[in-house]
Amino acid sequence: MNPSPAENIYLPKIAVLDRVVDEIAEVKTFYWRFVDPAEQAAFKKFRPGQFAQVSLFGVGEFPASLPPSPTEQETFFTVKQVGSCSAALHQLKAGDKFAVRGPYGNGFPMEEYYGKNLVFVAGGIGLIPLRSCIIYALAHREKYKNIQIFLGAKTPRDLMYRDNLREWEKSAGVECHLTVDRAADGWTGNVGVVGSLFKKPGVQVAVEDTVAFVCGPPVMFRFVIKDLKALGFQDRQIVSTLERYMKCGVGKCGHCCIGVAYVCVDGPVFTYEQIQKLGEDI
Amino acid sequence: MKARILDRADVLKIVDLLRQQGREVFAPFGGRGRDTCYDKVTDENRNQIQIHLANPYYPPKRFIFPHIERLLKVQRQDGGIQIEPTYREPKRAIFGIRSCDVAGIWHLDRFFMGRDFRDIYYEKRRKNIFLVNVVCTDPARDIGEECFCVCADTGPAAREHFDLQLMDLGDGEFMAVAGTPAGEALFSAPFFRKGAEAHIAKRRAILGEVRKSFKPSTTSWFSAAIRHVSAGTIQEKTWEEIGRRCLECGGCTYVCPACTCFTVSDRQVGPNEVERVRIWDSCALGGFTRMAGGHNPRKAVHDRRNRRFFRKLSHYFIQRELSMACVGCGRCAAVCHGDIGMPSVVEMIRRETAEVDKHEPVAR
Repeated sequence: MNPSPAENIYLPKIAVLDRVVDEIAEVKTFYWRFVDPAEQAAFKKFRPGQFAQVSLFGVGEFPASLPPSPTEQETFFTVKQVGSCSAALHQLKAGDKFAVRGPYGNGFPMEEYYGKNLVFVAGGIGLIPLRSCIIYALAHREKYKNIQIFLGAKTPRDLMYRDNLREWEKSAGVECHLTVDRAADGWTGNVGVVGSLFKKPGVQVAVEDTVAFVCGPPVMFRFVIKDLKALGFQDRQIVSTLERYMKCGVGKCGHCCIGVAYVCVDGPVFTYEQIQKLGEDI
Repeated sequence: MKARILDRADVLKIVDLLRQQGREVFAPFGGRGRDTCYDKVTDENRNQIQIHLANPYYPPKRFIFPHIERLLKVQRQDGGIQIEPTYREPKRAIFGIRSCDVAGIWHLDRFFMGRDFRDIYYEKRRKNIFLVNVVCTDPARDIGEECFCVCADTGPAAREHFDLQLMDLGDGEFMAVAGTPAGEALFSAPFFRKGAEAHIAKRRAILGEVRKSFKPSTTSWFSAAIRHVSAGTIQEKTWEEIGRRCLECGGCTYVCPACTCFTVSDRQVGPNEVERVRIWDSCALGGFTRMAGGHNPRKAVHDRRNRRFFRKLSHYFIQRELSMACVGCGRCAAVCHGDIGMPSVVEMIRRETAEVDKHEPVAR
């Protein structure tokens, strides 16, 4: 037995909500920070693709992706209201306190991708974890070759992080393509599934030396994989992040264990090659 | 390891010594028929402690990893939150723990304390517990129909991970083996005496005999089943058959000395006070992997059963924990209404393998 005292892996630290921003229907972004500046500084060392456990005492705890990049100042969560915990979070107002622990998980190995082309494909709220990588990649723009972003949403109203989207669309360093399933509100852009953007005139997706980040609902994921493979992508060039029911986030409670992996500690980021070996649905 | 001899009449004096150290001692007691349980030793029940009896279904792991355990106490006041971790580290001893359950605790040790994230709640309880292992030597009372520790290599005599081990040598004598310095310290009590070569010979002879008293079991094929589970060569229809027989009651996981899964729940205990507790959970239950919003990546029963046996038997996890999550106690077989405890599953895997035997058709 190891004699040195262990820290408490289940102990969340108190955080305060600075402001809440409506993103799209049922989705809000919560800007928060730890009350203790030392905790905040320690937390800020997270990597894109990691997650945190959010505590709403009396309701429970849930895993949430980290949409900010460590290169940004603020820490925040973007959360869709689906269960009891996210509903409780949606009730909170600026100044309210809750608790957070983390960061957890492996995250995307952004350093390993230096010198490569990056292709980001996101559907709906799948952009939440990928936002971190995109901002991170743009902050280290010289380290990567081409950066392409393909985003899909149900309707123009379901496009998230609109300030970022406008920036990416204008930026010379990145190619950003948007599409919606159904046009509305005077939308003049693309209509169709996200994979249709790959075939758009003028779009060239390089396969050689490229990593494709794919995040979105299971149906979208399956079709995008098909499209990427048709372009010539290998399974190991495609990375994604898995979502599972989790209680602890540290490899103990057993809920997220699939195949030979605990999604919380061995993931949540896996290549498509690894995902297939895990033998479970997305 | 040091060993001593003591008289049968003095065995329970070990319980007294442990109680004098200020420990809560839990020991096995008999009820009616097969009904046995671990209970706290008091002055009143001390003489009813059983040395030889059927291993209780409710495993003694709960004295280290309780069925329900409070993790945090949270108080809200004036818009603030106070979070207080609530640790319990009672000085305890388990007297009469069987070798399979000792192996189970070793597995929990590896799981909760052996990897990157160490579980402080487990660790605090674990470091204060003293284990007195009793070797199963009585074929009529100790060894059940379902026992297969000989196949899982955990018994009938544990080789390590206990503080003190007791073995009935017959003729009114017991051998005590110290597994730790704390165990050896007990040997200063006057009722322990040095043994002779003959005692060691007797121990060997008894263990040799005891091995024969295990029922010829399907689990002799255990290691082959481990290989097939690890390699993923078992057909889907076998898992489906296992799944059809699963009643999804979770019984197998609750009696398992090596199961570790838990859920976490908040409960209101006062107007401004909440406690966060963890409760044993079971991979047999349908909601085990269901996410908020209802999506469940592991809906089918057979997928969940497949998962249980893969998690317990695959080489990958055995290497990861350096210990296997099945210790051969046979409890799952005893409690399962669908008869898909470990021995039956091993047998179903064996039959399937026989079925797909790649023989040449004779008539061709």
